[in-house]
Amino acid sequence: MLTASGLSKSFGGKLVFQDVSLKLEAGTITTLLGPSGSGKTTLLNVLAMTDVASSGEIDIDGRLFAVANDGWSAKAPRPELTKVDQRLGLWPNMSLRQNIVMPLQARGIKDLSLVEELVAELKMSTFVDRYPNQVSVGQQQICAFVRHVVLKPKYLLLDEITSALDVEYVSRILGRLKVLSGTGVAILLTTHLIGFARQSADRVLFLDGGRIVEEGPSEVIDAPKSRRFGSFLSMVMEAR
Amino acid sequence: MIVILQNHYAEFWEGLKVTFWLSGIVWAFGLVVGVVLGLLAARWTILFGMPVRIFAVLLAAVPALVFMFWFHYPFQMSLNIVVDPFITAASSLSVINVVLVANHTLQVVGNFPRQYITAGRLCGLSDARIVWSIGMPIALRQLLPGMLQIQIVMLQSTLFASLISVDEIFRVAQRINSQIYKPVEIYSLLAVFFILICVPLNLLASFLKSRFSRDLSRS
Repeated sequence: MLTASGLSKSFGGKLVFQDVSLKLEAGTITTLLGPSGSGKTTLLNVLAMTDVASSGEIDIDGRLFAVANDGWSAKAPRPELTKVDQRLGLWPNMSLRQNIVMPLQARGIKDLSLVEELVAELKMSTFVDRYPNQVSVGQQQICAFVRHVVLKPKYLLLDEITSALDVEYVSRILGRLKVLSGTGVAILLTTHLIGFARQSADRVLFLDGGRIVEEGPSEVIDAPKSRRFGSFLSMVMEAR
Repeated sequence: MIVILQNHYAEFWEGLKVTFWLSGIVWAFGLVVGVVLGLLAARWTILFGMPVRIFAVLLAAVPALVFMFWFHYPFQMSLNIVVDPFITAASSLSVINVVLVANHTLQVVGNFPRQYITAGRLCGLSDARIVWSIGMPIALRQLLPGMLQIQIVMLQSTLFASLISVDEIFRVAQRINSQIYKPVEIYSLLAVFFILICVPLNLLASFLKSRFSRDLSRS
């Protein structure tokens, strides 16, 4: 289990989020909702330990990571804890297939059956041998997702990875997320697609003004307790 | 033009050799020392980065010819030494090339997209693997077009060496012209020489720029 306690983050005196505590349990999908600029991406960066918190600590399977000298007290476990970034970070000097396979080869993994399975499942065969600049943003998002999934992480953080996908692909990603959670992977994702959040989430967190304002099972999307979450949801629905 | 080339083949060839030799020294120094200095400047921004930026700004303002003349006259006079003009030209142009290449390297490394490195770390790659498989190939592709442009400018700047009595191709052309007075043919021949060298390099730089810079901006 990943347990974050009292996480706070500020940039140059400006508070991004404060005193955030949450748990990511094996086999659960947690969805983090919130308006743009509410600190979702920064929180994911801190949880993935690619960014350091201003204060607080993270416990991963009994290993404690605290803030020390503007860094984390120990090296993050990779790729057990990984994140698909909003900017994706696909390496432009490699084809999409090489992007997926290279990290596996670097770890000495020769069995590529999961790669082939996902390429087939996510209908990637028509573009997987192209370079990132030769495919759409949606196809890049799928590739980035696959690149991290084949590493078999225990904790998978996903930042807006469905923002450029059509309904069909969102559905395929959703299916794979269910498979992953079924195998015990703890998933935390951010999205602006309320339908996707409702279908995927075991738990929902609503971040606003640097604090978790509401949390609960996916049913809270249909019956929010806080006025702020309710108004956020109704604005998102109206925008669609 | 052909007749002039046939009659003065040996002199042109000697001038070309000096130009190539001078360019070779300037390119080698600039590329090796400049890249190393640029990497140091990116790593230690105060100790190396600031001086590189300041020198780059100053050198951009001072014409290469003035810089070379300063090395040739006042600098040697103040130290009471006499240096061979070829060495003076090679040194001053090498300094310019080193600073330009260092500044270009600093810009590329300083603006290297962090998300590629972060993605490598998130995938569990070692630092060595990240540098070898991700950092170096991407940085090289960003470095090359600008680097080639700088080297073309440096090749053309070797012409200034003629003004401090270095017998490179331009000075040879001037000397032949003073003997036979055929300026149109002689300087056209000189232009052809530079076209033959610089156009392929320019095309290569343009190709690399369009091929790789576009790729990086979209992914």
